[in-house]
Amino acid sequence: MPHPAFTVEDFCKDPDFIRWVAMPTDESNRFWQLYMAENPGQVPDIQIAIDYVKTIRFRENEPSQQDLARLKQRIWADIEPPISNRNPHWTGPVRTVQWYRQPYWAAAAVVLLVSLVGVGWWAWRANADLTYQTAFGKIQEIKLADGSVVTLNANSSLKVADNLLDGPVREVWLNGEAYFDIAKRQGSKFIVHTPEANVEVLGTEFNVNTRREQTNVVLHEGKVQLSADNQSAVVMKPGDMAIVTPKSRQIQLKSVQPDAYDAWKESYIVLDGKSLPEIIDILQDTFGVTIKLDDARLAGKKLTGKLRTEVADDCVDNLSIILESEVSKTGDTYVLK
Amino acid sequence: MTDRLTSAEHIHLWDTFRSGSRDAFSKLYELFAADLYRYGYNLIRNRQVVEDCLHELFLHLHENRERLGATDNIRFYLYRSLRRRLLDTVGRLNKLDSDSYIFDTAEFLIQPYESALIDEQLLDQQKLVLIHELNRLPKRQKEILYLVYMKGLSYQQAAEVMDITMKSVYNTINVALTTLRAYVRESFKQRGVVLSVAGAVLAYFMKI
Repeated sequence: MPHPAFTVEDFCKDPDFIRWVAMPTDESNRFWQLYMAENPGQVPDIQIAIDYVKTIRFRENEPSQQDLARLKQRIWADIEPPISNRNPHWTGPVRTVQWYRQPYWAAAAVVLLVSLVGVGWWAWRANADLTYQTAFGKIQEIKLADGSVVTLNANSSLKVADNLLDGPVREVWLNGEAYFDIAKRQGSKFIVHTPEANVEVLGTEFNVNTRREQTNVVLHEGKVQLSADNQSAVVMKPGDMAIVTPKSRQIQLKSVQPDAYDAWKESYIVLDGKSLPEIIDILQDTFGVTIKLDDARLAGKKLTGKLRTEVADDCVDNLSIILESEVSKTGDTYVLK
Repeated sequence: MTDRLTSAEHIHLWDTFRSGSRDAFSKLYELFAADLYRYGYNLIRNRQVVEDCLHELFLHLHENRERLGATDNIRFYLYRSLRRRLLDTVGRLNKLDSDSYIFDTAEFLIQPYESALIDEQLLDQQKLVLIHELNRLPKRQKEILYLVYMKGLSYQQAAEVMDITMKSVYNTINVALTTLRAYVRESFKQRGVVLSVAGAVLAYFMKI
């Protein structure tokens, strides 16, 4: 219970106070409003304490509505009794005719078998050695035969082996940038080959970027092993970024905020922590345009926030606003000054 | 969304569920599944494992509803069960070594202040330093702060969820507050927040 001698720190440690700030209810709002009305001298300290408590926040990953709906379905499927047991008209004795002895079931099974073979053969043919290529400014989501999902960034290509479903190793070859959500398949490794490295996984989510003569891998969840010619292999943990360049003798690892590296999937980039030349590289790779700086002082500017990357013109305009500079365009070349 | 239920509503919902109401069970899922998912994912960065454990947890609740004890804080009750289940599962799957995953990659996020009285650019730098300091805390301390400050559990409940002593919880709260005091109060004072505090408190209540 709070009392008039409470300091800022006392409030910050008081579980009732913390719970009110973290999860206010009508009940607690009434209580604390009344308390402040009765102790006006403590209001400034309470405000500071609110700000303290609100400072302690973790980044949280929201499950999607689909995730939650799918999970609910799984649970409910296990607890709902089967339909036949709930049929109120079911009173007769249980007949023990095997399902396959009933002629219509047998017919249905044959039809099903034939169509499965047909669909299977079609899928197998359609899947033989596929190559996907995206244009500048376009993002494509690709569902692979094994259930893995690859989001291919602009100006990138992905070649997929034709044996994803039955081969001992699932292999793809990437040029450009892609985000991988790999489905687990018992005992079958998934390997992403890039010009500089091989990323080997069992089932996980990660981003790979092979632009500009180096390969960057950012791991979202799970575990992957990364190897490259003449460099010793490393095992990555979630939140790690690995950089492989032919020039360096060892794969470099550092901790990053993974969300900042796959924001392109939602058509924006996170500017925080990137230099302007880096950002310009990204935009040039994405849109196939040239961006020049006409003022050397611009290169040293620090940027924060997000930049939408749906349309090249809008994107460069917004960048110029953030930089407080003028932009002019000739053909595919933008000049910032 | 997180629940905003009072203790009485917690008790009522839980008791209705225990007496066999399917609607109450549905409501438990709607209210707590997303929140449990977030906590689980901070514990173990693996969606599949988190989903499997939530599946088992809700089935267990449903099958044993008549034998479960009473509670006036359902979140606390479910957190404790989920945490045990996750650690058991991860212990069994020796693919991941359990200890290195727990809250290791959970990161603090300094949100913009609702009072909007502080110059954002200055706050940005302050934020970076503060995030850096808080992120250096050991993972168990991070988890304590998560449970107490973000989820509103009492010290006793946080200690029980994590199977640790109340003393560890107290110590952690003190460490965190010391860090905050060093980095935040200075900036608050410099920006003259205290002068306009009455307006800020008013604005705060307009929002909730």
